[in-house]
Amino acid sequence: MGTASQSLPPEEAGCFALLAEAERANEYLYHVLDIGQHMLQCGGEVSRVEDSIQRLCIAYGAERADVFTITSSIVVTIYSHKFGALTQTRRISGQQYDLHRLELLNQLCRRTCGERLSLQEMKKGLEEILAAPQYGFGVQLITYALVSSSFSLFFGGSALDAAASGVIGVMLKFLDQAIRRTEANAFLSALLCSCLGGLLAGLAVRFGLGDSVDMISIGNIMLLIPGLALTNSLRDMFSGNTISGLMRFIEATLLALTIACGFALVAGLL
Amino acid sequence: MQYAVELITAFLGSLGFALLFRVRREKLLLASLGGLLAWGIYLLMGFATDQDVVRYFAASVVLTVYGEIMARVVKCPATLFIVTASIPLIPGGSLYHTMQYFMHNDLSACLAQALTTVLLAVSIAVGMLCPTAVFHLLHRRDYLRNQREKRS
Repeated sequence: MGTASQSLPPEEAGCFALLAEAERANEYLYHVLDIGQHMLQCGGEVSRVEDSIQRLCIAYGAERADVFTITSSIVVTIYSHKFGALTQTRRISGQQYDLHRLELLNQLCRRTCGERLSLQEMKKGLEEILAAPQYGFGVQLITYALVSSSFSLFFGGSALDAAASGVIGVMLKFLDQAIRRTEANAFLSALLCSCLGGLLAGLAVRFGLGDSVDMISIGNIMLLIPGLALTNSLRDMFSGNTISGLMRFIEATLLALTIACGFALVAGLL
Repeated sequence: MQYAVELITAFLGSLGFALLFRVRREKLLLASLGGLLAWGIYLLMGFATDQDVVRYFAASVVLTVYGEIMARVVKCPATLFIVTASIPLIPGGSLYHTMQYFMHNDLSACLAQALTTVLLAVSIAVGMLCPTAVFHLLHRRDYLRNQREKRS
């Protein structure tokens, strides 16, 4: 008696080879999607994510790769005569701009395609990128103060307004950090931050620590307001990613209304 | 004087956002200089026209060209520069006024301001799109030429 593989008719042996190949392809695809997911989460444009995933798949031997990305999901189907058609989807949640990470992911993607890195090397590269240090809490506090006072002056506030705005900015960061720990919904976080911002700005002017509530608030609001999201959503729509654009547009509008609501609540109290 | 304050705070504001977006080292400075440039162009265009839409459009075209060039110089995605440098332009102020009218129950003023906000955002978005399209074409042409040279 020969071994099992020898006794199999040739078409079935081919079938096993196909399955083994498909299993391997699925594993590759999984890690390619990891890169795509992180790119999207740290602020990569939809077109960049689609393009990168497609290139990676083709570099790893797919004959055809169809990628569909919206802000909350990625769908990829790859095809090759060696393993047939394979599809994986990934649900994406939570977006936080991290342009340094985006840059590193982009480099990794280029290196993988250009130098044909192995799967192990690519996985190691991704782990290194995710482990890279972030700015500390102190720097973030200074950043909030810097943005608040800059925009308070930018829109025509006095030096006193800018100072008040900077201090309120720091307090907002503390609140934001506390809320983030509870993993609350983004709208609730915006509502609480705008309430606190409006309250503190009103109090500051009442006690003579600022000249104009508007000028103090506008510095703080630049931290919360979805102006960039609004612009980016339109950019998405104009470049043909209508669904992503619409989703972001509605999200931005709702967020703006939530912030308005927060300020209105406090203005009613003061 | 007001112009100087605006330019300096545009730079500092962009720097702040660059930090928020976790941009690193030498790119911090380049990205925030983009914000300064964008606001400079906006102010300069003020001598030629008082149409805000045109001024925002011109500023966003220039900042995108700056971003695409810098991306090629320091080898990183153009988004990094474009997103950060567009901070002084984004209609946050206009959006704030929309919200204010909304809070004061002045719905007609709120709608008018909302329309202005969207219009400004559109002009910025379209302004960013034009240079990006041109750079893509150039990139594609180079790529095709390389492929042809490889084959021959």
